[in-house]
Amino acid sequence: MSVTDKQLKQFARLARLDFPDEEIEAFKGEFEEMIAFWDSINSAVEGDAASIREVGARQIPLNGLREDEVASSLPNEKILSNVNGENGYFTVKRVVK
Amino acid sequence: MKYELVSGFETHVELATATKIFCGCTTAFGGAPNTHCCPICTGQPGTLPVLNKKVVEFAIRAGLALHCTINTTTHLDRKNYCYPDLPKAYQISQFDKPLCEHGYVELESGKRIRILRIHIEEDAGKLVHEKGTSYIDYNRGGVPLIEIVSEPDISSTDEAREYVEKLQLTMRYIGVSDCKMQEGSMRCDVNISLKERGSQVLGTRTEIKNMNSISHIEKAMEYEARRQAEILDDGGEVEQATMRFDENSGETYVMRTKEDAQDYRYFPEPDLLEVAIPQKKVDEIAASLPELPLEKYKRYTTELGINAANAKLLYKYKAVCDFFEECLRLGAGVKNTANLILGTVYSTLNTEEEKELFNIRVTPEDMAGLVKLADGGKINITLAQMTLAKMLESGKPFTEYIKEEDLAGVSDDELTELCRQAIEANPKAVEDYKNGKEKAISGLYGYIKRATQGKADIRKADAIIKELIK
Repeated sequence: MSVTDKQLKQFARLARLDFPDEEIEAFKGEFEEMIAFWDSINSAVEGDAASIREVGARQIPLNGLREDEVASSLPNEKILSNVNGENGYFTVKRVVK
Repeated sequence: MKYELVSGFETHVELATATKIFCGCTTAFGGAPNTHCCPICTGQPGTLPVLNKKVVEFAIRAGLALHCTINTTTHLDRKNYCYPDLPKAYQISQFDKPLCEHGYVELESGKRIRILRIHIEEDAGKLVHEKGTSYIDYNRGGVPLIEIVSEPDISSTDEAREYVEKLQLTMRYIGVSDCKMQEGSMRCDVNISLKERGSQVLGTRTEIKNMNSISHIEKAMEYEARRQAEILDDGGEVEQATMRFDENSGETYVMRTKEDAQDYRYFPEPDLLEVAIPQKKVDEIAASLPELPLEKYKRYTTELGINAANAKLLYKYKAVCDFFEECLRLGAGVKNTANLILGTVYSTLNTEEEKELFNIRVTPEDMAGLVKLADGGKINITLAQMTLAKMLESGKPFTEYIKEEDLAGVSDDELTELCRQAIEANPKAVEDYKNGKEKAISGLYGYIKRATQGKADIRKADAIIKELIK
């Protein structure tokens, strides 16, 4: 499958990746290789994705699900221990204009 | 207007489970930021979601109450998008196999708004933007939601209002959500397009996101319909777009157009198994459903003979219905009970929320006891109202205010004598009445009420007075 510049830019935008125009051409080749890799997985499966889903062994009965009982949450310091935080909040660079 | 409004709703309803959809953290509203969180609902690497059984049961309950078919197997899907309210960069939702499908909401007119599907998903966190920073609170992240998707069957703002109210009421009746729009436990995305009157061809639609009050929904729909009509009248084309409603200006504005619409790249959630739902369980849930709002409304107006306006004021509030029906079960008559609730009790409950909670100081037993006295003619309705008002105020039983000797009421002879006295004591009022001032006679009622401490039947007194001064 060949990938157009427009598609590549669309993918990059969805993945929040910033591609300078001069890198697009080089990456396009790599990207096509990745797609080809997925194609070979798909052909190995011999069928569409829906048929994989139909394997009944992957079901769980309703009764096997978790009961609605409250467990303790983590302390706020712990939740924020590996991130940028302030006043109990996670913080990121402002995401809206 | 030469156009017809075509509108469909996507309504998010937070389920009233104790814990989140994929972890044991509490769903309690509020709390200090990021204190109802754990590694699962903050999307830490290596964690796995564990589906809450009650979420599935509540969603089935909601589906059945909205006349949906329940799928006996269902799975969850990943909806991918990058935004910091979602720590995993995907939301676990349902795509191609929702739990419930093909139901409807019936309006009072008999028109049905079809429900396309209801699926379960997790709520996102809350963002606050200040200066150069966005602050994130994940307490709400992972709270279970159902999304109720309607067909574009809504054709006026009145229908939109009734549809949302009916959904709200139904969810409250069956106990799956409190549907508090002001707290965000119910939110609507509204799709709107216009078509030429009588035409089958639908116009291009726009979607107004995240509406959290019914009056805003109405305003936004009116504004958006007008905006689209102006474009069409000028020969233009409506552009498909996602919009936001600005409460302050009362206008809608574009958030994003079709060009930058999201591509969610849904795929089946690999961390969760498909859920098998036995038909027996669905039948059990169906059997446990209470009487639904519209059924109740119909029963009140037909079997109980309550007029439509009063029935509407009662059935809107589940707690009121429970109280009312308990009084009837205890032997109180329909008419007096309904009138006392709608008059005396409602006058002490000023807001919708107070009526919903119906936290009053009178028990159904006491109310029924009082009403039965009125039903049997032992006290008149005025005394019943006055007594009830005192009971609501003090929380004391009616026996505190109505003594044995009151129960005899006032005999006809006594009443006639009192009317004579009233006429003598109020010559001016009698004169005015005779000169055509009908209302002047009410001055005499006060005299009789005072003399009997409200026990006398004023309607009877009115007839006697008019007879005497004829």
